Amino acid sequence: MTVANTTREQVLDRIRKATSSVATGPSQLNEQYTAIPRPYVRKGALHGAAKQALLMERLRDYEAEVAESTQDNLGQAIGSMLAARDAGVLAVPGGVPPAWKIPQVDWRIDQGLSNAEIEKVDGVLTGAFCAIADSGTIVLHHTSCEGRRALTLLPDWHLCILFASQVVETLPEYFERARPAPKLVTWISGPSATADIEMTRIKGVHGPRQLSVILVNDEE
Amino acid sequence: MRASLFITCYNDTLFPETGRAVVSLLERLGVELSFHPGQTCCGQMHANTGFRSEAYSQAKQFVRLFADAENVVIPSSSCVAMMRDQYPGLFETLGNESLRQDFAALLPRIFELSEFLIDKLGVDDVGAYFPHRVTYHASCHGLRGIHLGDRPFRLLGKVRGLDFAPLSTLELCCGFGGTFSVKNAEVSSAMLAVKLQDIVSTKAEYCTALDNSCLMHIGGAMHRQYAAMKTIHMAQILASTESTPMESFR
Amino acid sequence: MSQLAEHPVLDPAKAPPFPQAALPVLHNPQLRKNVAHAVDVIQLKRARLVAEKTDWQELRSAAAAIRTHTLENLDKYLEQFEARCTAAGGRVHWASDASEARRIILDILREDDARQVIKIKTMTSAEIQLNPFLESEGVKVFETDLAEIILQLGNEEPSHIVVPALHINRSQVREIFAKSMGRPELTDDPRELTAAARNYLRSKFLDIPTAISGANYLIADTGGVAIVESEGNGRMCLTLPKTLITLAGIEKVLPRFEDLEVMLQVLARSATGERMNPYTSLWNGVVPGDGPQNFHVVLLDNGRSSILAKTKERQTLRCIRCAACMNSCPVYRQTGGHAYGSVYPGPIGAILTPQLMQMRFAQSLPYASSLCGACYEVCPVKINIPEVLLELRSQVISQEKRSLRRLFDPLYLGLRAAGVIFSRAWIFRAAQRFGRIGAGLFTRKDGWIHSLPSVGGKWTQTRDLRGFPDKTFREWWRERAAHSSRESK
Repeated sequence: MTVANTTREQVLDRIRKATSSVATGPSQLNEQYTAIPRPYVRKGALHGAAKQALLMERLRDYEAEVAESTQDNLGQAIGSMLAARDAGVLAVPGGVPPAWKIPQVDWRIDQGLSNAEIEKVDGVLTGAFCAIADSGTIVLHHTSCEGRRALTLLPDWHLCILFASQVVETLPEYFERARPAPKLVTWISGPSATADIEMTRIKGVHGPRQLSVILVNDEE
Repeated sequence: MRASLFITCYNDTLFPETGRAVVSLLERLGVELSFHPGQTCCGQMHANTGFRSEAYSQAKQFVRLFADAENVVIPSSSCVAMMRDQYPGLFETLGNESLRQDFAALLPRIFELSEFLIDKLGVDDVGAYFPHRVTYHASCHGLRGIHLGDRPFRLLGKVRGLDFAPLSTLELCCGFGGTFSVKNAEVSSAMLAVKLQDIVSTKAEYCTALDNSCLMHIGGAMHRQYAAMKTIHMAQILASTESTPMESFR
Repeated sequence: MSQLAEHPVLDPAKAPPFPQAALPVLHNPQLRKNVAHAVDVIQLKRARLVAEKTDWQELRSAAAAIRTHTLENLDKYLEQFEARCTAAGGRVHWASDASEARRIILDILREDDARQVIKIKTMTSAEIQLNPFLESEGVKVFETDLAEIILQLGNEEPSHIVVPALHINRSQVREIFAKSMGRPELTDDPRELTAAARNYLRSKFLDIPTAISGANYLIADTGGVAIVESEGNGRMCLTLPKTLITLAGIEKVLPRFEDLEVMLQVLARSATGERMNPYTSLWNGVVPGDGPQNFHVVLLDNGRSSILAKTKERQTLRCIRCAACMNSCPVYRQTGGHAYGSVYPGPIGAILTPQLMQMRFAQSLPYASSLCGACYEVCPVKINIPEVLLELRSQVISQEKRSLRRLFDPLYLGLRAAGVIFSRAWIFRAAQRFGRIGAGLFTRKDGWIHSLPSVGGKWTQTRDLRGFPDKTFREWWRERAAHSSRESK
């Protein structure tokens, strides 16, 4: 059987011919890759309270609501946030700790909620994988505690429970932690925004228009 | 200190007063100047328009003429940028090994005027006197090509009587760009309009720079629009003293 | 809705040359104001963030090195991406050119008899002219980026690769929306206009099961795809539909997931002047229970492999489409994007477009630059755009030297003549004298030339030229030397 000269073969062939003078063999590829100099900052310089403070500053910069809490009064903190918004119906991923699902709230646990059902809630409560202080970024790997992607996309309010031990300062520090590489990631650094009309920044186009974070101190 | 002057084709033909000022200035500073009559052009105009082989011929000629010079001084940052940025490539593709070596040996001895004064002669106070309000435009080749940095400011800062008016669009391209000024004349003029508006707003009497190419373009519009300002190459400011005022180089 | 005299042509094979295309724009003060305002805003934001980033230059170096290494080993990384993506449930297709890519995409749509698609903004799809093709084949395309909606509903063309509608102001947007959405009561408040777009799109996200996206990065070691956005329409299109088709140029690949630690730091700062854009999404193939279960990647060559083959020009493919170059370009600031006659305008467009056309078209683009170098200074992957511009100019001249047209081009002839003039000092001196005499004919009493014929007329359109001095520098030097040698005798 003749080898089909498919487009794939043609394209790869053109590429190989184009780079024959500089390409390395497969065994040296890894060596060459590892040899790429990376003189940029990897580790942050901030620790503990200073790092948390930077994260909160960056979150507040883009008008996310931030509250602090201890492990013990987390339930109270969640309650206050819900009460302030008069929020009574919340979507929640299946793997969230029971302690977070405080009483007197209609918790819609996601076991295959339809889009229409998700749209009806007052907000969604999830955990997160990590937060990056430098850019005020919340990182979701969409585990059972963080929920599938549609769950944090369709509601208008996202309440995220973050632990101090989950906070890193720099983006490279996040990648240190994200091993093995996740299958799904959403990096959230502010509510959605557009500057397409005269560069005027308008917040809240699609996706939750409001983000609230409870930062739980679990490091003492 | 000996130096050989590469005047540049356009200074030679259109701005000889800049050359005369360079001579007056450097001789005053004790430099023994020579001028090789075989010189013509560095090849930039051809290289930048895409005529590589023509540019190469001129580059070759330059290296041959100046191979033995102790120092080469050039009152034009674009020509120096041409030599540093493009000569190596031209000699690599079109030249031979001996030419490449000659150029490699010559390159460290090539100086733009402000580089020669500050780096080689080690002076920023050249004893100049120029009692006028002056603004300075950073030509792109000087700024991003050969990274002149603060040299022009240090030199102007020591000129007695000079009232310095900074330009807020200091680093913005004036729109000359060589043949760009005619191939894309309208866009070039639109860019110039922005620059000129800022230059005129400084209320300076003179706009100076280290390249007459930019100044020809800026000055040409100034004259057309009856702006109450003139352009002048920095060499002429630095050469001016009480006894040899600017008029001496006209 | 457009204030341009004609609809801009963004097909490099048909677009007028840059100097000609720029003219209507230069006479459009509204458009020039819109463009200048937009680029000034982004530049300022970018500058502030770059100043605060103490390792900015180090990040640039690493970004350039990662992209260079990737391009040098592109086949291996593409093969790895394909293997991992396929293992994760994606289907990978290869397209040699635009027409093949369009066909592949249409065939995928036909598998489900899809008659509507929602799209995330992708310049690559504009490069292959996908939308008009799909429409002609009975598929309705709904753009979902605010800028792309404005362009689509207003029948406009993109003029920037990150902020494509930057040439359109709020009252123009109001007109477009009021008419096409049937909302005459809309004001020109950007908030209201954005809300109108949000409402217009909501049902489309929820109801249309097929989406088309581009890709910012393809991750070779995981088979993942990353998309960087601000509005959330990307997340909608990547999550809610059943079928997702991702179109990506072959140069979009990165070796490893962690290489994003460099690229994401430089991209947002360069593109929108933010430490991080609001939403970045990454997914590997198909994830059961979450997102589209039918996922395709279409890898596009369309001239990229020929750019890869050229040593000096290869760096063009490092581009991560941040648009920092056009934001910093003093030429772009005056003309906006349409003058470049391509979906890729500005400095990167000036080198990418002619090369994608294999130098058969867009020969005026490498000359659409004063070589000021501002673009190179801001490029996060250190593409030496001026260097590539010069390389392409020499290729254009090689073409020109073989064409008959050159005999009628005064600038070409002038430069050939100048080459002869500079070849010998005696010819140069003669030319100087001849020039002095000739120029004298045009010099007025004030000592200046106000008007010249032919190419010279392009100068004197807006500038005077000082008359030739009586004596050249070398004549003065010679006299001085003769005088002093007489004196010493």
